[in-house]
Formats: sequence, C-alpha cells, structure tokens
Amino acid sequence: MAIEVKHEIFPKNPKKSYGLVELVKGTSPITDKEPETTVFTWPNLVFIELIAILLSSIILIALSLYSGAPLEEMASPDTTPNPMKAPWYFLGLQELLVFFDPWLAGVVLPGLIIVGLILVPYIDVNPKGVGQYNYTDRKFAIWTFSFGLALWYIMIVVGVYLRGLDWQWYWPWDDWELHKPPSAVSLIDYSLILTSWGLSKGGAQIVAYATVVGYFVVGMTIPFIFFRKFYKELGFARYNITMLFFLMMMGVPVKIILRIVFNIKYLLVTPFFKI
Amino acid sequence: MSNEEKNKTNKSGEMNRRKFFNLIGWGGLLASAGGSAIGTYKFMFPTVLYEPPTIFKIGKVTDFSMGVDERLKKERQIWVVRNERGLYVLVAICRHLGCTPNWFPDQQRFRCPCHGSIYDIFGNVRGGPAPRTLWRAGVSLDVVDNQVVVNFLTRQDPDPESTVNGLMVEEAPREAEPYFIKNA
Amino acid sequence: MVDFFENLKNKIVETQVWKSIFRHGFPDTDTNRALVMFSNVLLHLHPVKVRKSALRIRYTWCLGGLTFFMFILLTITGVFLMFYYVPDTRSAYQNIKDLQYALYFGNLMRNLHRWGAHAMVFLVWLHMTRVFLTGSYKPPREFNWIVGVLLLVLTLLLSWTGYLLPWDQLALWAVTVGSKMAEASPLIGYSGPFGKEMGMRVDNDIRFMLLGGTVVGQSTLLRFYVLHCVGLPLLATLFLAVHFWRIRKDGFSGPL
Repeated sequence: MAIEVKHEIFPKNPKKSYGLVELVKGTSPITDKEPETTVFTWPNLVFIELIAILLSSIILIALSLYSGAPLEEMASPDTTPNPMKAPWYFLGLQELLVFFDPWLAGVVLPGLIIVGLILVPYIDVNPKGVGQYNYTDRKFAIWTFSFGLALWYIMIVVGVYLRGLDWQWYWPWDDWELHKPPSAVSLIDYSLILTSWGLSKGGAQIVAYATVVGYFVVGMTIPFIFFRKFYKELGFARYNITMLFFLMMMGVPVKIILRIVFNIKYLLVTPFFKI
Repeated sequence: MSNEEKNKTNKSGEMNRRKFFNLIGWGGLLASAGGSAIGTYKFMFPTVLYEPPTIFKIGKVTDFSMGVDERLKKERQIWVVRNERGLYVLVAICRHLGCTPNWFPDQQRFRCPCHGSIYDIFGNVRGGPAPRTLWRAGVSLDVVDNQVVVNFLTRQDPDPESTVNGLMVEEAPREAEPYFIKNA
Repeated sequence: MVDFFENLKNKIVETQVWKSIFRHGFPDTDTNRALVMFSNVLLHLHPVKVRKSALRIRYTWCLGGLTFFMFILLTITGVFLMFYYVPDTRSAYQNIKDLQYALYFGNLMRNLHRWGAHAMVFLVWLHMTRVFLTGSYKPPREFNWIVGVLLLVLTLLLSWTGYLLPWDQLALWAVTVGSKMAEASPLIGYSGPFGKEMGMRVDNDIRFMLLGGTVVGQSTLLRFYVLHCVGLPLLATLFLAVHFWRIRKDGFSGPL
C-alpha cells in the first residue's frame, strides 16, 4: 500500500489538460528566435563603447596638447579684421552670403535646409534600404542627399582655403598678404542685361519674373511627364514638396554659376526683396 | 412631454453644461498659457540700455570741413559729411553684414574689409554684395546752442535702383529733413 | 597574499553598504549581465541584449555614441571653465588669457573644450550622414530623425553662443555678422523683407531681442553666456533624452 502512494506524486486530475515540457540548458529565456541573433550588451556593446571613448579621448587630449585653441586680439568695434572668418562649420553659410542677400543666405536658406531635413522621412516613401548601406534601391535619395552634402562641404573648403583679404578668391600659391584689386566688371541685374538687349524696362521685369517662375514650372513638369513612375510613387502632395525643395537646392548652384559667369547680382527685383 | 423626451433633453442639457465647462477650462488654460508666453517674450526685451547714447550732440555745422569727417567714427560709429548744400551723417555700419567700412579719400570710396562692398560718398553701393545704401542718421539743430543733434536710431533707408554703376538713389530727395541740415 | 585580497573583496561585497548600492554580482553570468543593465541607472540606457548586426563598427562607426560622449566631455570641461570666467566685457578676455597662460592645466581645459566642440559638430554631421545612408530615418523612426535634426541645430547654436564668450575679435565680428543675419529675417527683422511694414525698428526687432540691445555689448555677452551654459544645454539634454528613448522604443535599425 505504502509503495503505491509513493508513486502518485501528482495524482492525475481529469478536469485538467496536460502538456509535455522539457527543460534544456541555454543562455537566455527567449523563444521563437531561431537562430539566436542577440548577444548580451555587457560586455559586447559596453566594451566597444569604452574603447571608442578611450580612443577619442586620446586623440582629443593629444590634439589639445599639441595645438592651442585660437584666440584673436581683444574685441574692438572700430576695426574689423580682414578677412573675418567664422569657424569652419559656419563658413559654408558665410560663403553663401557672397552670392545671396543676407535675408536669403542667412535666414531663409538655412531655414529651408532644416525644414527640408525634417521632411525627409515623410517624403521618402521608398521602404527599401532600412538598416543597410543600399545604393541600388534608393538612387534618387542618395544622389540628392550627397549632392546637398557635397555643396555644403565644397562651400566650406572654399571658405577655409580659398578666401583671403576682402573675401577675394586666393589660390594657395597666391600672395595672401597682397590686396587684390576689386573685379573690373561690376555686378549688374538680370533685367539690366535684358534692357541692354533692347527690351523695355517693363518688358525686362516681366521676362525676369517669367524666368524665375519658369524655372520652377519647367522643373516641376519634366519629371511629371517623363518619370511617371516617380510621380505615381510619391503622389501629388509629396511630389510637389519634394520637387520644390529639390529645385530650390538646385537653384543655389545655378545662381552661383550665374553670378560667377555672367556677373548677375539679382535675378529678380521686387519692391520687397531681391533674389 | 413624454418621459423619454424629457430624459433626452435633460441629457443633452447635461452635455451642454459639460461642454460649457470644458470650454471654460481649456479656454482659461490656453489663455493663461498664451499670456505667460507673451509676458516671457516681452521680458526678453530690455527697457533700460547701458549703451552709448543714441541721441547725441556732435558740435556745430561749421566745426566740420567739407567732405567726409572721420573723427567720430571710433566713438560714435558715424561719418559726418558736408557739401555745398549742407550736412548729413552716415552710419558707419556696412549694409551687407555690419562690419565697419574704411574711407579711402584718394578713391572717394568707403570700402568694407569683410566682403568687399564699396560705397560712394552719398552711401550709394558702387560694388560688392551690399543690398542697400548706407544708412543716414537723423540730424537736427539744437535751438539753444545751435549744435547738430544726431539721432542714431532714426535712419533713412530708401529703396535703391539697380543701374550699371551699382545701386543708386536719387540724391535731391534724400537731402531733406530730418536727415539733412541745409546751409543757412 | 592573493587569498587575503580575495577574502577582503568577499568581505566588502558581503557588507550591507555594498549590497545597498550594487544589486548584482560581477557581470560574468547571464543573470548578472542582465541585472547590471537594468539595475544601473547609467547603463540602463542600453537594452539587456542587442542584435549582433547592430554591433558592427563598420555599420555605425560609433558616431552617435561619440557625439554624446563629446556632449558629456563639453559639459564637464565647461563647468570647470566657468570657475574662472566672468561674463563681463572688461574682464572676459583677460580671464581667457589667465586660463591660457597662468592656471595649471587651464590651457588644456580650454583646448579640450574648443576642440571637443569642433569634434562634436563634425561628428553630428557624420552621424546624420550615416543615418541617412542606412535609411534609418524610415518608419518607425521618422520622429527620431526630427529630434536628431533639432539636436544638430542646437549643437550649432551652442557653438555659436560659445565663441562669443572669449570676447576676442572673432567673437565680436562673428556675432555682429550673425545678428545682422537675424536682422535680415523676413517679417521680424528691421532690414528684412516686410520688416518695416511690420513696424520693426532697430530697438524692437529680433536682433534687439537676441543681443539685448542695439549693439553687441555687455548685455549680449551675458545673454549668450546664459544661453550657452544653461539654456541650450538644458534643451539639448531634453532632446537627447527623447532621442535615446526613441532608439530604445523603436529598436536599432540594421539588417536582421
């Protein structure tokens, strides 16, 4: 009698259902993850971070010991240093100021860059390329971003290495102590060039407006007609926002080239602002 | 009125009451938040300035010689300009980005060291990226001692016209009160 | 001898004081590796486990983490610099000279702060480029990209407010130029488009608010000092918290 009782540790209950469970040796309680792709943060990630921090600290301390932070003469409001250069990360902006009026180069364009960056995830509907360096599936996105980035870095390089006294263009082999004469040709407006071709003043104004508006209209239309797939993927609202920002970004180098090649100061003169 | 209808009106009446208090509550909250925001915003505008005076006397008209007088550039950030018709005061701040231009008597030009803007003696833009002409400060004659009083904050800023020579403004209308002192 | 230290260590680890501070053993077992992550406030920024693919250096280049490290480094060196710096136009420049030439390790501290700031700007840009190229802004991480862009703006503002403080020529003229741009803002600036139509004057527009006056002077220095040392770092900390929180919630992007 006593032996039988010993065997019945768990008396079977007819009201319950039973399943077969196995205990196995393993490193984590995670299930439904085959094969295991995760590792413990300690030590795998924590030590990578530690090494990165140590290496960057070494580089930074070495740099700080080797090279002193810049300090110029004490501020004096009646003499402006020549040339006056901002730290390198703002020189792209300072370079823009040569080609555009301050309200545009200093306020509107940086504002548009920030707004454009914020809009990026909402206008890029392409689901491909998450979590990998993928060029083939996102050619337009990568090209556009890289173009903007390259523009920004080129302006910085120009500002840092190629601008000298009076913010004139100096090659590295030029004498940087010598003032360059101001350019022989003065900058003139686009509408003045048109009037010199025989247009009336009002006519020149109309053509100037038409050129700027036409740039955007043609730019918006070309992909709409020739890249229907691009338009369809984005939809009406996204397409217009994307193309507007794209054309404004492209407009920056266009205006810079017009300034350099044709000495055009303003493309469009309105009573309120000039572009 | 049946019982059911009575209940309905009561219910919608209750809802109106709730809506009313909702409106009062949220409205009050938003109004006070908006008020605080405006107050904080106004707080950031100083009302007392510890700066060089913006209205100051610079001496009599006859103290200045013909042409550009640079004596007050360092102290007051102005150039006093006299011609046959009278006297005006240019603000020594470049209209491009606020650097201090230099006067070159041999070229009869103001030139800015920052981005190479060039102005003539009237303040017209003769080259470089400056978008407007130099400011002219308000001037008047003190009735008591006949000294020139400069108001640094009142500034003449006409819309210039683009020409082949630069951004120009017609001179005659500029030489009027309160930005010009005519010869007596 | 080894036994002695082993015993000592065990004694210390057994004490009530030690146990009240550290709620886990040395992280060499799975339990303790998990415990160390979620019982330590500094480490619990991390998840307990991470995907192997997220650890590849050539995927992240550690850029985000290094940017954060620069932020911490700048906070620490910045606090030390504050001990010797008075935001007064008459003494600010001399204070910097003292840091450079008189104080023990003053120059090192200042150099670390300055170069660290440059490094942070550069690392933020690189981090953004990396995030774009790996498509890590795509759903569900759109909002975190926005927070990142705002952090980039804050980094640049911190740099800008920072280099006014030595009160040298760069400081004065860079801020003169910068505030002139503010003056040229449409609608809210005195010389910007539609500015005068909106009733803007030299003494009530956005530049006036920024400078605390009509010229770059004492009130500007104080304003930028407060923004640089208190206002913007607080804002940046807030956004950093949101940034990290979203990474934890949305998960780390990367190939599966």
